Amino acid sequence: MAKSAQELAKERLARIEAAINLQEPDRVPLSGIGGDIIPAYAGITHHEYCYDYDKTRQALKKFHRDFPSDWSFAAGFTGVGVPPLTYAFADHPDVSAVFAMYGTVHDLLGDVCTRYPGREIGENCSPQFVGGTFMKPEEYDLLSEDPVGFIADKLLPRICKNLETPRKAMATWVRLGMEYGKISAFMQGVSEDMEELGYPSMPITMGMAPLDLIGDGFRDVTNVMLDIRRYPEKVKKACEALVEPILKVGLALKPLGVKLAFIPLHLNEYLSPKLYKEFYWPYLKEIILGLLKEGIKSPVFFEGRHDAHLDTILELPAGWGIAQFDKTDVRLAKKVLKGHTCIMGGIPISLIISGTPEKIDAYVKELLEEMKPGGGYILTANVSVAPKDTPIENMHALIKAVEKYG
Amino acid sequence: MQEELFNKIVDMDEEGSIKLAKEYLEGGGDPQKLLETCRNAMGVIGDKFEKGEYFLSELILGGEIFSSIMEFTLPHIKGESEKLGKIVLGTVKDDIHNIGKDIFKAFVEAAGFEVIDIGVDVPVEEFVKQVQEHKPDIIGMSCLITAGISSMKKTVEAIKAAGITDAKIIIGGGRVDEEVRQLTGADAWADDAAKGVRLCKELVGVKE
Repeated sequence: MAKSAQELAKERLARIEAAINLQEPDRVPLSGIGGDIIPAYAGITHHEYCYDYDKTRQALKKFHRDFPSDWSFAAGFTGVGVPPLTYAFADHPDVSAVFAMYGTVHDLLGDVCTRYPGREIGENCSPQFVGGTFMKPEEYDLLSEDPVGFIADKLLPRICKNLETPRKAMATWVRLGMEYGKISAFMQGVSEDMEELGYPSMPITMGMAPLDLIGDGFRDVTNVMLDIRRYPEKVKKACEALVEPILKVGLALKPLGVKLAFIPLHLNEYLSPKLYKEFYWPYLKEIILGLLKEGIKSPVFFEGRHDAHLDTILELPAGWGIAQFDKTDVRLAKKVLKGHTCIMGGIPISLIISGTPEKIDAYVKELLEEMKPGGGYILTANVSVAPKDTPIENMHALIKAVEKYG
Repeated sequence: MQEELFNKIVDMDEEGSIKLAKEYLEGGGDPQKLLETCRNAMGVIGDKFEKGEYFLSELILGGEIFSSIMEFTLPHIKGESEKLGKIVLGTVKDDIHNIGKDIFKAFVEAAGFEVIDIGVDVPVEEFVKQVQEHKPDIIGMSCLITAGISSMKKTVEAIKAAGITDAKIIIGGGRVDEEVRQLTGADAWADDAAKGVRLCKELVGVKE
């Protein structure tokens, strides 16, 4: 007899929790791959996937029904946003976490740091983050003295056309508040659909590494790489000052029972071990530990090659969260982190895009022979964004292979 | 002086190297020699990156130092210096990211290639048109997001369908690997700028 949705969700949750807690689950959990394939599979444009709540909800449901996994984590991200936005509200936990990354929000803000399909780019393009330079190097002191005030009063009006003046901002905030009614109904609807399909409910909040917030949100990546040489002390002070608002926003959803905080990293692979330990890791560590103290574990996405910094992860207490790797070989990571950190990743997305079902089967078999023993592993792609023309049979092949060899 | 400047650039001394290069030129130094020294330093920065001694931050700063020095050096150089080859370079359709393309461009120019940068989100037909117009030795395609992979494939196909077979095609970016190279039909792939420059030299038959 088929399992009920409730039983299925319970089983899946137990599988993921066992992995996070460094135990061996009944089967290696699979965290689903999402991305551009979701709207494509539903036959809607990417514009609709960013602007039409009903169609987006239907697309998510269809995708999760036909491509089952243990965790719908990756599919939760349908857009890109304005990184500093939420931190302007750090002192207002009741509203700091309401800002969805969606096309409607992009339109209301009029931000210049993202590009949305059917707006600045073609209607079937994925929304993309471009960033920009919104802060001058002379302003580091202002940022350090009052990070939340600086973001709210100086940065947001520069990033968002519709927040340019206090008068424009009044209308924009009211409109965003009204839109939130729709966004919240949409999110509630998606979570009901997921429940119906037997996915465990695992609400998640967000965190950021301070240097990433400065690089992606304020100064632009190239500039921040030059800043750490030109004004090292000022950059460090600013990173330190940003820890508190980042933690406040991360913890705002704690009363609602959120137990996970996703922290996607960006500039980690840009830095030598010396620079990483000076400008990046101490502040990121403070954030991971600050969340952990409140019972929130962090899935951290270590973008790019994290090989040179792997050992720093051991400074965290065992079972601190999840390390998702991109270009770092999970087998190498396991050698360093076994018994200490739950590892996630392992499947190159290029294999799903370019490979065949036979190749995928063989790859998963070989990978799991090494990664399964001892537990503490969640299988997924290195980057969980499958493009719109990803072969469907490859998506199925991955799911089957995990069932077979996990 | 040349050795001191070379070391300052390789050691990432931005202020010191720019100051030294300026003094050298103002004192009647040979701009061509200065250019050579800077190019050699960029080559070593690339080598160090490939060996894992340097990271992206050093590539970015190295590129910045190089372009700062070139700004006041190039106007003193008369006539065109000989190029290793010509590259038409762009980020493919549906992808608007430029950082990878720009880092590669800085290093491949420093290595002695002429680069025609055709921008980001370049439509397939536009890529073909630019290649037909400039007749490059190498066609460089960049992408960051996974959606770019299919654009690369379509662009490579269109270039071949247009009868352009003498230019070599190299694809680059964070999501590119051997699997993607095979899918797209490109001649070479690189997921970092230093490797990309090395492969471009190989593609035009330059011996190290």
